Amino acid sequence: MAVIVKNSVSDQIKITHFTIATCLGRGRQVHFDAMRNSRSGLSPCRYPDLPFDCFVGSVSELDELHFPEWVSDYDNRANRLALAALETDGFLDAALRVRDRWGPARCGVVVGTSTSGIEKLESVYRERGDNQPLPEGYLMSHHDNHHAVAAFTQKFLGLTGPSYTISTACSSSAKALIDATQLIEVGICDAVIVGGVDSLCLISLNGFEAMQLISREPCRPCDASRNGASIGEGAAFLVLERDAVGGVRLSGMGESSDGVSMSTPPKDGAGAAAAMQSALKTADIRADQVGYINLHGTATPANDAAECAAIAQVFGTDTPVSSLKGMIGHTLGAAGAVESVMSIIALEENLVPGNVGLETLDPEIACNVVATSQDEQLTHVLTNAFGFGGSNCALVFSRCPT
Amino acid sequence: MKIFLNKIAFAGPETETWDALTGLFASGAGWRASADWDITPETLSARAARRVSPQIRLAVTIAERLAPCLNDDAGWIFASSVGEGETLQVILEALRTPEMMIQPLRFQNAVHNAASGQWSIAAGITGPITSIAALDETAGAGFLKAGLQVAAEKRPIGLVLYDVPLPPPLDDKRPLGIPLGAGFALAPHPGADTLASLTLSVCDEGTTEPKHTVAQAIRATGNPVAAVMHLLETLAAQTPSHVVLGLHGGRGLRMDVEPI
Repeated sequence: MAVIVKNSVSDQIKITHFTIATCLGRGRQVHFDAMRNSRSGLSPCRYPDLPFDCFVGSVSELDELHFPEWVSDYDNRANRLALAALETDGFLDAALRVRDRWGPARCGVVVGTSTSGIEKLESVYRERGDNQPLPEGYLMSHHDNHHAVAAFTQKFLGLTGPSYTISTACSSSAKALIDATQLIEVGICDAVIVGGVDSLCLISLNGFEAMQLISREPCRPCDASRNGASIGEGAAFLVLERDAVGGVRLSGMGESSDGVSMSTPPKDGAGAAAAMQSALKTADIRADQVGYINLHGTATPANDAAECAAIAQVFGTDTPVSSLKGMIGHTLGAAGAVESVMSIIALEENLVPGNVGLETLDPEIACNVVATSQDEQLTHVLTNAFGFGGSNCALVFSRCPT
Repeated sequence: MKIFLNKIAFAGPETETWDALTGLFASGAGWRASADWDITPETLSARAARRVSPQIRLAVTIAERLAPCLNDDAGWIFASSVGEGETLQVILEALRTPEMMIQPLRFQNAVHNAASGQWSIAAGITGPITSIAALDETAGAGFLKAGLQVAAEKRPIGLVLYDVPLPPPLDDKRPLGIPLGAGFALAPHPGADTLASLTLSVCDEGTTEPKHTVAQAIRATGNPVAAVMHLLETLAAQTPSHVVLGLHGGRGLRMDVEPI
């Protein structure tokens, strides 16, 4: 089992700011309202030329967003998503204050993404003639390279501390949060801007369709008649900072691997269980102290069943659980950060969000899947993110004494 | 952060092993770049190896050379600047057709962590595996991440650096010269096999450059993995020294190398 040892610095690393942009809208209030009212942001896909119909979680008004001239080399949909999040809920001003407090060289940037700005390269490829070179002005480093979003974020915020990108498919930005914590724990950074960003793109949509994993209706995680995922896009950023008081902290972190094929977990969810047990151990809490579990819950039959088998093994069958993907779709590499932020909002608001799309629970799932939102006193919540290649990550967020 | 180096792996054209590279360093013989070099790992069956990209074959080769030095609790870090360019190119071409048909296996193997995933499956890894990138500073990011995990988690780490030139037309935008892989088995405590201690700190210097002509020639190819050539040259010389690997953002990762 992957056990992460923490030191005394860990307890003082807090999440001091966060921001989010998904198909539900931008910011804390809209996501809280959607979670309370079980509102879905999924809509029919209008992606040009896509050869099949589906529902997606598309972020609106990205094209209208003013992209600053001085970073216009980075203009692509993924970086527009990042910008939309950075400019929401006062996050940008807060991040700049953090930079001024610690100095730019002591502030790191870690971003989790699966596809980065690949959507721009897709367009360039489709527009160019057969066997023609790529356009002269096209910059891989700013668009399709995995590090392009982190590089943009670092430049836009004027930070010079270490930056790198975690790209482990759909667990990417959950794992990035562990890196952010460790960069502060070992004294390399005083604060880290950490996040996840992934945009809709033809590769993701057609790739999951080729695997017969795309639902023709808005996805319905854990439902007996679920038939696949809805792909979404999103961005979320958090500031992790040392020597902070109160608020919420990332108290538990677990990682494991259990790949039996690139895309399918073992039926018993062995690696998922190991990651969750490790997260509980580092948080130093018992399973029954977790008040809510945010499922990875992609709505594919195999993944939901394996995850819930793992939860039943570690937590029993009483802990309230739900998937947020009926609201926002599967935001792929951004899912870890996006759903961490939504889980933190749930924690702070004492809200267990409902599992949108659930009508009849799959009888094979022996978990307390909550269909509609409910009020609960929450002290600890756990969120899961699993990716291709058997890459598993579980995080625990905890309230801190003020 | 003080960590301990227990094994070095290396693979590239005309230098298929670490011993071959140190032999070249010692002999004074020259080295010539060859872009179409490929290598097949022992861990994958011949059939499985044919079905994956040259990137995956190279990364798994490096990993399997480190594996004997790493126990079941070890973590793994796979660091690649461009990831699965070969697979990406085929998919991008498919998107130019109205059907946009992508082979499922190809899609699964297009993710940046395809190499780490294939290694994890082949070797039955159950611990943490991460796949990271940081443009030209990917090697520095890999060592920084390795240092974090060794220091914060007190676990050994297998660090695999690999990059393979992109196919056309992508290669025009980012020429990588040659396929190149390097690996390092790292541990929180010294052991019987320890080769050197590495003390890591962040500094304001950029990547330091090698002095040996072979190391300089490999560095000049443009492959981001070659940022470790000064480190490899220093380790081969077995004398105390310091090297710097650049980090994205302008700072550097200083490594004070002390042979043991």
